[in-house]
Amino acid sequence: MSGYYLQLMTNGIIAGAVYALFAVGLTLVYGVFRFINFAHGELIAWGAYLTLAFSALIPFGAAIFPAVAVTVLIALAQERYVYAPLRKKAGITLLIASIGLSYFLRNGLRLLWGSDLKSFGFEAARGLVFFGITVSRTQIAMFLAALIFLGFVWGLHKFTMLGKGLRAAADSLELAEIVGIDMKKIGRAVWIISAVFAASGGILIAIDTNLEPMMGIANLLKAFAAVLLGGAGNVWGALLGGLFIGIAENLGVAFFSPGYKDAISFALIIAILLFKPTGIFAIMKGMR
Amino acid sequence: MDYFYHILVIALIYVIFASSLNLELGYAGLYNFGHVAFFAIGAYTSALLSLAGFSPAASMAIALLCSAASGALLAMPALRLSGDYFGIATLAFGELARLFALNERWLTKGPMGLPGIPRPLGIEAGISGIPVYFIFTVTITVAVLLILRKTTMSPFGRALKVVREDEFVARAFGKNVFSLKVRAVAMGSLFAGLAGALYAHFVTYISPYDFSLNETILVLLCVVLGGKGTLSGPVLGAFVIIFFQELLRFLPIPTDWGRFVSPIQGMIYGAVLVILMLKRPEGIIPEHRTLQC
Repeated sequence: MSGYYLQLMTNGIIAGAVYALFAVGLTLVYGVFRFINFAHGELIAWGAYLTLAFSALIPFGAAIFPAVAVTVLIALAQERYVYAPLRKKAGITLLIASIGLSYFLRNGLRLLWGSDLKSFGFEAARGLVFFGITVSRTQIAMFLAALIFLGFVWGLHKFTMLGKGLRAAADSLELAEIVGIDMKKIGRAVWIISAVFAASGGILIAIDTNLEPMMGIANLLKAFAAVLLGGAGNVWGALLGGLFIGIAENLGVAFFSPGYKDAISFALIIAILLFKPTGIFAIMKGMR
Repeated sequence: MDYFYHILVIALIYVIFASSLNLELGYAGLYNFGHVAFFAIGAYTSALLSLAGFSPAASMAIALLCSAASGALLAMPALRLSGDYFGIATLAFGELARLFALNERWLTKGPMGLPGIPRPLGIEAGISGIPVYFIFTVTITVAVLLILRKTTMSPFGRALKVVREDEFVARAFGKNVFSLKVRAVAMGSLFAGLAGALYAHFVTYISPYDFSLNETILVLLCVVLGGKGTLSGPVLGAFVIIFFQELLRFLPIPTDWGRFVSPIQGMIYGAVLVILMLKRPEGIIPEHRTLQC
């Protein structure tokens, strides 16, 4: 029986690693721009769907790169044509615009690819067994990719000037500008990182399960939960938050009906906001 | 002609729904993105009670109270949050409510939905009852708008606007900001529940798919397009949006293009929201800013 829970734990950690990718992107944008991008979920979905489109022309491994690149362009276009002009106005305009944008992009997906489930068409390979726990190759790839990306963010934060700028901006926007940090450059970097992470995570999830137009919004809500767990703007908090959500919803399957798998993260959002709005994993304050 | 009445009833239901959101979003400045949950609570409560044998009118009344109570219950914890976070919490609540309706089959019959919901006051089911139901809906809508007019022009309504503009000022004037907001959400939820109940008894069949994120976007668009923070804005917005939606059905679109209609419609709604925010965030009817408080 304990093997069953261990298996659920493992699935949870792997799913959580991908949620962490989404959450880190979302929280980085929040850290610099102080707004929550409701259209972040659509970057996840577009990354996956664009890979599907490009893989019809070129081999799958190569299709990932143009797909991620186009997703980055979508993110930069969002910033340039919608978010930047609205930045000086009241917060609600930005929020409503990002909701409108997400609806626009999601329906764009439905227009181009239809509303039905799609898949990359990989054959299900037999899982590998370690110590009685079954893990598929896709899951290993998911975990490794998440590890590499998150390691990249860690290195960026720790060792580069850009990372210092990011930390400074997350701490105080005005002070960062006063000491002469180029906020335009930081902003662009943040959008690129967040789009790359969203698209890659979306592709990984689509390999593991399938593609559907609502995949963006479903994962966005999980990323929200992770961000809130970690305290908004806190990168390491978001990372831990993502892992926590993944484990919680997979362990939850043992106790609730699977129909409520998604509900666990929504309930967590409300519970966190109820009891600890500053986030539970906001422990490493200095390392934002 | 019956079809025309049908559209009018749906438009009026959206007038109530949008006005209820406007009370929170336009007047109190609360970004409620899960408002559809209260529409659903009203619809399901009223439908379930009337199917269990209560008279439809009594079911609707109880449904209103349930919506208002759940609104207040959600607001109390969620209002500890400001701005964006309130939006996320309510968005999550909306999705939770939908999942609940989808999964608790013993209560809601899950995805199968609830058919055969009776109409109130002995109004006939089917097409023949539509004109009478239209009069019924007009009466209720007018009553709701009068109540909202009275409310928003009262000291309570003005205080809500102060809260929206600056909470500290409101506090300095000795207003209990928390209580004001809870009351605004409770009242908004009450009218959203009313709209939901009206909807359930009108279409006589509801399922969880009637209460998705799309409805949230639609009602948000009604408020923002018409003009938030005004009484007439959401009314205009609801009529424009619902009629636009229904007119699309009459366009001569080849049948094999049919599957493109709904995504394009969605893209238009999304784009209109974005463009409105960029070019005219105050909507068609702008709010008068020179209030003599």
